[in-house]
Amino acid sequence: MRRDADKEEAAVYQRVVRKNGAPYHYLKTHLVLEDESVRLSAVELKLFIISGLKNLYGEVGAALTFDLLKYNEDTLSALLRVHSRGLVKLWSSLTLLGSFQGQACCLQGPAGVSVPAGAVRKQS
Amino acid sequence: MLMFTFVTKNSSSRHASRLLTCGGPCTVSIMSVFMDLNLIQNQTEDRSGLKSLIETAAHLGFSTVAVNYVFEPTTKKKQNIPSPTPINELIDQLPIVQGRSRPIRVLNRLTIVMSDSSHYRPTAAEYRRFDLLAVYPTTEKLFHAACMTYDVDIICISVTEKLPFFFKRAPVNGAIERGVAFEVSYSAAIRDATMRRYTIANAIALVDTCKGKNVIVSSAAEKRLELRGPHDAANLSLLFGLSDADAKEAVSSTCRSVVLHAERRKSAGGIIHTTKTSPEETPPTPDDRDAPAAKRAKPLETE
Repeated sequence: MRRDADKEEAAVYQRVVRKNGAPYHYLKTHLVLEDESVRLSAVELKLFIISGLKNLYGEVGAALTFDLLKYNEDTLSALLRVHSRGLVKLWSSLTLLGSFQGQACCLQGPAGVSVPAGAVRKQS
Repeated sequence: MLMFTFVTKNSSSRHASRLLTCGGPCTVSIMSVFMDLNLIQNQTEDRSGLKSLIETAAHLGFSTVAVNYVFEPTTKKKQNIPSPTPINELIDQLPIVQGRSRPIRVLNRLTIVMSDSSHYRPTAAEYRRFDLLAVYPTTEKLFHAACMTYDVDIICISVTEKLPFFFKRAPVNGAIERGVAFEVSYSAAIRDATMRRYTIANAIALVDTCKGKNVIVSSAAEKRLELRGPHDAANLSLLFGLSDADAKEAVSSTCRSVVLHAERRKSAGGIIHTTKTSPEETPPTPDDRDAPAAKRAKPLETE
C-alpha cells in the first residue's frame, strides 16, 4: 500500500534555508495497523491522536490545538497542521502511540522519509 | 512523521521544506547517515520477523542497523554465548535504504545483562564474533566498572524499571572520555505507559549527568510496528532533555562513532598519527608572518 503511494509521487528536491521559524508546521503521517482491513473516519483519527496527547501530556497536552487538514480513508494518511510551539509535543505523542483499540499500530511518515535537512519536496 | 513547512502560499504547488531543528530556525549541518543499533533478535521466533524488521528499517531510512543478541548469564548453570547468524543466511538480498539507493548494512551486536562482575570475560573469544559489544549493568559497582575499565562499545540504560542506582559524574565522564556510548531504547515506552515513565525519567537522569554527550537512541524493537523513523526518534529524544543538535547526533553521528569504536576495538587497538617534526621543511607562509606572534605556528625545538 505504502509502496504504491511511493511510486506515484516522484519527488524533486531543492534546498531552502529559512531564517525565521514558520508559524505553523505540517506533519504528514500515515497510520499503519496490524489488521490492515480496519478503516477509521477522520473524527476517530483525531480522537485517537488527542488520546495519545492526553496520555503523554495530560489535560494540558490534550488542550493543544491542531488541525487535521487532509485525510485519506483508503490509505489512512493524514496531513496535520500544528502551531510551531506545539510541534514537539504533538510529534512525540504521535511517535509514542503504539496501540489502537488493542491492536498494535504505528504512525509513520510517508515514503521517502530520509530527505536531507532543509530540502524541499516538490510533488508533481 | 515527516515535518513539512509550506513555503509558498499557492497551495496548488505543494512545496514543503523539512527543517533540521524542531520548531526553531533552520540550521544546516553535515550529517552522517542514520543508524539504529538495536533490533532484537528473537531466539524463539523464525527468521521472517527479523527480515520484516530489517526491511522496515530500510524503508524508514536507516542506513545501518545492528541485530542484537541478548545474553543473560545466570549463576546456576553455565550457558553458552549465542553466536550470530550470518546475515546472508537470514536474508537473501538486503533491502535498499529509502532515499540512498544503497543496500542496508547489518551488524551483529551482543548485549550482556550483568548482575555479577564474572559475567563479563574480557578475553572471551566468543565476543569477537560480534561487531558491537554492549553491557547492561544492573548494579552501581558494575556500572562504574563498565564505564571505567570494560572494553565495550555501548552501556545500556535501564528503561523498564526505576533507576536502580544514581549516575555519578565520575564514571560517566570516564566513559565519555573512552568513547563508550550510553544507550536509551524507546520501544518499551511505546508498549506500556509505566515503562514510558521509567524511560523518560531514567533518560533525563542520564542526560543531566552526561550533558547530552555520547547518548544514542535506539529502538530495541521486536516487532515491525515498534520501529520509528530516524526523525521521529530524534524528536522523541528531545523529551529526554537532549538539545536539538544532540538529538540528531543520537541517531546519526554518535552511532557512527560507536561503530568506529567497535572497529578500533576489534583491530590492533589504536590509531597512529604522524606529524612532520623538522621546521626547515615548513617555512612560514606569508599569512603566517602577518599573523600576530601568538597565533603563529611555533617552530619546534630540536635539541
